Amino acid sequence: MTRLLNKPLRAFILYSLVVLATSIPAYYFIIDYIWRLQLDEHNQLVSKKTQNELSTLSLNDTLLKQSIELWDRIQPGTALEPVSQAEMRPDSIYTVLRPNKYDPDGYINRFRGLSTYFTLYGKPYRLIVETNVEESDETIAAITVVTVFFFLLLLGGFIILNKRISVRLWKPFYRTLEKVQGFNLSRQQNIEFEETSIKEFSELNEALQHLIEADMTAYRLQKEFTENASHELQTPLAIMRSKLDLLLQSSTLTNEQSDIIEQATRALSRVSRINRNLLLLARIENNQFADRQQIDLSNIVNENLLMLDEHLSNKGIEREKDIDDAIQITGNRTLVETMVSNLLLNAIRHSPTGGKIRVQLSARQLRISNSGSGPLKEEGLFQRFSNISRESPGSGLGLAIVKQVCNRYGWEVNYSYSQDFHVFTIWF
Amino acid sequence: MKVLIIEDEPELAASITGYLSGESYLCETATSFRQAIEKINAFEYDCILLDLMLPGGNGLDILQEIKHRKREEGVIIISAKDAVEDKIKGLQIGADDYISKPFHLAELAARIYSLIRRKQFNNTNVLRQEEIEVNLLAKTVHVHDKPVNFTRKELDLLLYFMANRNRVVSKTALAEHLSGDIADMLDSHDFVYAHIKNLKKKLAEAGATNYLKTIYGSGYKWES
Repeated sequence: MTRLLNKPLRAFILYSLVVLATSIPAYYFIIDYIWRLQLDEHNQLVSKKTQNELSTLSLNDTLLKQSIELWDRIQPGTALEPVSQAEMRPDSIYTVLRPNKYDPDGYINRFRGLSTYFTLYGKPYRLIVETNVEESDETIAAITVVTVFFFLLLLGGFIILNKRISVRLWKPFYRTLEKVQGFNLSRQQNIEFEETSIKEFSELNEALQHLIEADMTAYRLQKEFTENASHELQTPLAIMRSKLDLLLQSSTLTNEQSDIIEQATRALSRVSRINRNLLLLARIENNQFADRQQIDLSNIVNENLLMLDEHLSNKGIEREKDIDDAIQITGNRTLVETMVSNLLLNAIRHSPTGGKIRVQLSARQLRISNSGSGPLKEEGLFQRFSNISRESPGSGLGLAIVKQVCNRYGWEVNYSYSQDFHVFTIWF
Repeated sequence: MKVLIIEDEPELAASITGYLSGESYLCETATSFRQAIEKINAFEYDCILLDLMLPGGNGLDILQEIKHRKREEGVIIISAKDAVEDKIKGLQIGADDYISKPFHLAELAARIYSLIRRKQFNNTNVLRQEEIEVNLLAKTVHVHDKPVNFTRKELDLLLYFMANRNRVVSKTALAEHLSGDIADMLDSHDFVYAHIKNLKKKLAEAGATNYLKTIYGSGYKWES
């Protein structure tokens, strides 16, 4: 993943590279054109001056010839020679590459030339003026060097500016991001965004604020709904239960009727338990439990085992325990007790008659295993009502509560199946 | 003994009244905060059952009022809220017990029985049922003046039946009394039967009359 600001930076750099690269031929052609224009003008001036000077001298033929020879010798860039009338042509301009005779290395140089014909004292003459022009490859090289220098300057500038901008300009954005990342819906703590003078960020913060508030309201309403619904159910459940209890007092009941009452009572107990567990879950989520008591977990596990002892022996379940003494953890006593008893009851309920359960507790983990036949479906194991089956009369919320308690204290709970044992482990 | 039921749900109050009446209890009902205060001002009771959520006020305020006047009544909070803080707060103000809805009437009767007994005998009581004598402080049982060795659960059951004498108590109610709210998580309630069997056996061996009858196969009744 690239950072946001690196994307335009790359584009800027590429764009400037393209622009500067195309500028090289453009500069070259312009400079070369100006060169040539200037040199043509210069050659023209030299030719005009020469013609002028020669015509004003009023030399005789011999002297003129000598002067021309002298001229040709001392003015290497020019050549003046008589021509026949038939050779007279209009002026022409040309570029020629040839070695410079004054260059010690004998390099090929480029020359801009003007060939002009004129009549002096009645005789036709041709004058050639040539001036050395910078070679095109040298011009291109010079322009390239300068361009590369400026490109590097731009590159460095872009990188430095980009860093500064990302640090300063985008600070509010990164602050907002940090806050949103740290947001936890279940904690129900609103986010206060910092004031920013940049319109887009301010709008972003405002939009996020609305979103979060709406989310929190929806979440709270949903939780309140669960809690309120559970509360509202308690009283009718209490009435139903009391009516069944009263019905049982009737002296005219038959055996069959009494069985029906008993079955209804049991079903009602299960409804009550589901309701109570839903309420418990809602309360944990609503943070209604005071935290951070120091608890002796060894004690809780031992007490729970003692309480369940008779149920273990009724079902002929063998118990194996390896509990370290005085394991201290921090949490809410009620919640931790509920967690331990849910796991133990689960183990007992899902063990076959004559099975075996193992309880291990150390400072780092609590592990409760029970014999079984084949692994459970792990997916959704800790979700509400995911695991209700006809033969297990649980509330379908036991493991969800275990998970919720663990989440609250940052413990990890997992399920595994090994050597014909279902194993639930909590890592503290 | 007079019991005041402060409960805004008339059907529930009627059930409680129906269950308790006839067995030396006289029940009165108040269905609102104001009515409750009026009744408390006008009469004396042995026990007050107090619902916390009432039309017109919070039950805890009634409790404050009772304690403020240094009244002798025992108070049992019956609440749908089942919140630990409420329970702690109620007990701190001076409630004697707390039972959350929904409850079995037999469980409520046992709590009332135990509360009134504690208040009346000032914690030194001995319960008698003909030849059976239970010393609640020493936690011992004598039949025909001879000690019988009961386990904690058997003693618990015996007291539960005595509190619900001449009432049919369902196996579910007994299971919940013995195992708390995990009872309905258990696949079978056979453990109740095992305890009752032991209780009956020990009483019979000590020569006591069989007061505990099995009713319709799924309930029990202590007849006296």
